[in-house]
Amino acid sequence: MSRVESIDVPTRSLPAHTVSGADVGQEVPGEPLAARLAGRAWELLAGTRYTGYLLVAPTVLFLAVWFVWPVLTMVHLSLTAHVVEGVTVEGFTLENYVRLYASDLYFRILMRTIRIALMTSLFAAVFAYPLAIAIARGGPSLARLVTITILAPLLVNVVVRSYGWQAILNKTGALAWLLKLVGVSNPPVLLYTEWAVLIACVHVYLPFMVMPIAGAIGRIDRSVEEAARVAGATRLAVLTRVILPLSLPGLAVGVSLVFSLSAAAYVTPQILGGNFSPLLGTLIEQQILTLNDWPFGAAISTLLIAMVLASNLIFLKLVSRRFARWTAGAR
Amino acid sequence: MNETVSPLLKIVVGVILLMVVAPLVVPLLMSVSDTPYIVFPPQGFTLKWYAEVLANPEARGSFLFSLELAAIVTLVSLAFGVPCAAGLTRYRVPGQDAVLGLILSPLIVPLIVTGVALLQLFALLGSRATMLQLVIGHTVVCLPYVIRSVSASLLLVNRNLEDAAAVLGAPPHLVATKVIWPQVRPGILAGGIFCFIVSFDDYPISMWLADGNHFPVPLYLYTVIERSFDPSIAAIASLMIVFALLLVLVIEKVFGLSLARLAS
Repeated sequence: MSRVESIDVPTRSLPAHTVSGADVGQEVPGEPLAARLAGRAWELLAGTRYTGYLLVAPTVLFLAVWFVWPVLTMVHLSLTAHVVEGVTVEGFTLENYVRLYASDLYFRILMRTIRIALMTSLFAAVFAYPLAIAIARGGPSLARLVTITILAPLLVNVVVRSYGWQAILNKTGALAWLLKLVGVSNPPVLLYTEWAVLIACVHVYLPFMVMPIAGAIGRIDRSVEEAARVAGATRLAVLTRVILPLSLPGLAVGVSLVFSLSAAAYVTPQILGGNFSPLLGTLIEQQILTLNDWPFGAAISTLLIAMVLASNLIFLKLVSRRFARWTAGAR
Repeated sequence: MNETVSPLLKIVVGVILLMVVAPLVVPLLMSVSDTPYIVFPPQGFTLKWYAEVLANPEARGSFLFSLELAAIVTLVSLAFGVPCAAGLTRYRVPGQDAVLGLILSPLIVPLIVTGVALLQLFALLGSRATMLQLVIGHTVVCLPYVIRSVSASLLLVNRNLEDAAAVLGAPPHLVATKVIWPQVRPGILAGGIFCFIVSFDDYPISMWLADGNHFPVPLYLYTVIERSFDPSIAAIASLMIVFALLLVLVIEKVFGLSLARLAS
């Protein structure tokens, strides 16, 4: 309310400008035309009752037509058609969802997806904590080094990052060379196994775990840690009894992000897992582009949305409520 | 701060950072190997794989197409996103929470699902306009980032400065260009850069909507990885890595934005 009033103050309550807008505009020759036009537009728009609507409407319409509509159409299709031996049968059905559960092959892919998403979240959290502590509690130069090193890979295309792991885990790759160097005569080949997919997923999604945890640790009052230390707590005790519980909201955000992202991953599992460990993303692609079974593909897509929403609900809502009492000390 | 982190933690952090960097360094090393296959450690030294990649018309075509697509998507996203952020932060919009939820929801729904849903809709509509489809698909995904970034900077705008300028006789358009714009500029810049990167790097939307004549770099890279085994893949990967590192430098030095801010 006060926002709306304060925008009105300059435009309405000061009608008696001694200098008109045009005059002042001409006094500033360096002002770019685009900026001047934007200013004029602003002047025309600002202050009417519908201004907010007018500014927001194009985006809302755009997303309604090109995001909400297609997603709803897809969910609808998954419930109103199914394909039997290449022929599409219309009418309400749960057949597509039953198939996902009943078929051994598809059910295994579903379980593998959940397993990899959970393991990725777990490993990412384990690696993220030291990094997050270094960012939040290390000196400025250490924090900067860690932040840049963690975030810079985000600018490298995910295909390239996944390829990097392929180059490491290959039979003639860097890991095999390293293992031979330290005397492992017959190093295991990890490429095209679930382990390869897991390793690369942890690497690709690690930043999404580190940043929220670092944020949460940064918000912990240092005096809480100091109090624990003065009271005789060891470094380990400070970590497990103070930092860990107080950073749980950050961990919850991180886990829900990493779980969602890795459950829906396509490129990384394709490059590292090959055809040996497909996830749900690969299954969608196969059903639609290869087998042309749109309703089943739509059902898997809908399931993926449901999984992501569920993980958001579980990790964000339940966990944060459950631990609200613990985290009361953090601002 | 006299008390910092323990030396043990520093060692652990060092080891993890090495693992983070490894998949970016190994392709660089392998790309100069003078062998017809990928091997570590590299044998000999040659730049012929780079020459091969740079001379490849497909690679160049994809790269230019991705630049063009990302530029268009950035402009479209800013055209929709900047007014929207202004409306959300400076005016009362009924149902504001619902609007915010709608805007952020493309970040929640998996990209691969958004892509396939759009493909289905375009098929229903009988659309063949690949470029338009790609622009629409990428814009859906980029809008949340732009709106979030611009909104954040609009919320930080100091209202007292506007009032002061107005009281001193500045007409609204000068308040907008001389007082608000300089404060919002970093947010728009950050939103635009992030949007460009998201579009340039997108795979899961493009994989559904692209075709042979509109083939973005990530898809091209993927096909190369699938079909060839010589160090030229490592050379392309290295070029992309160097490109990304240059981007980090440009963002940090030229635009004066921190990476941490872009990602938040």
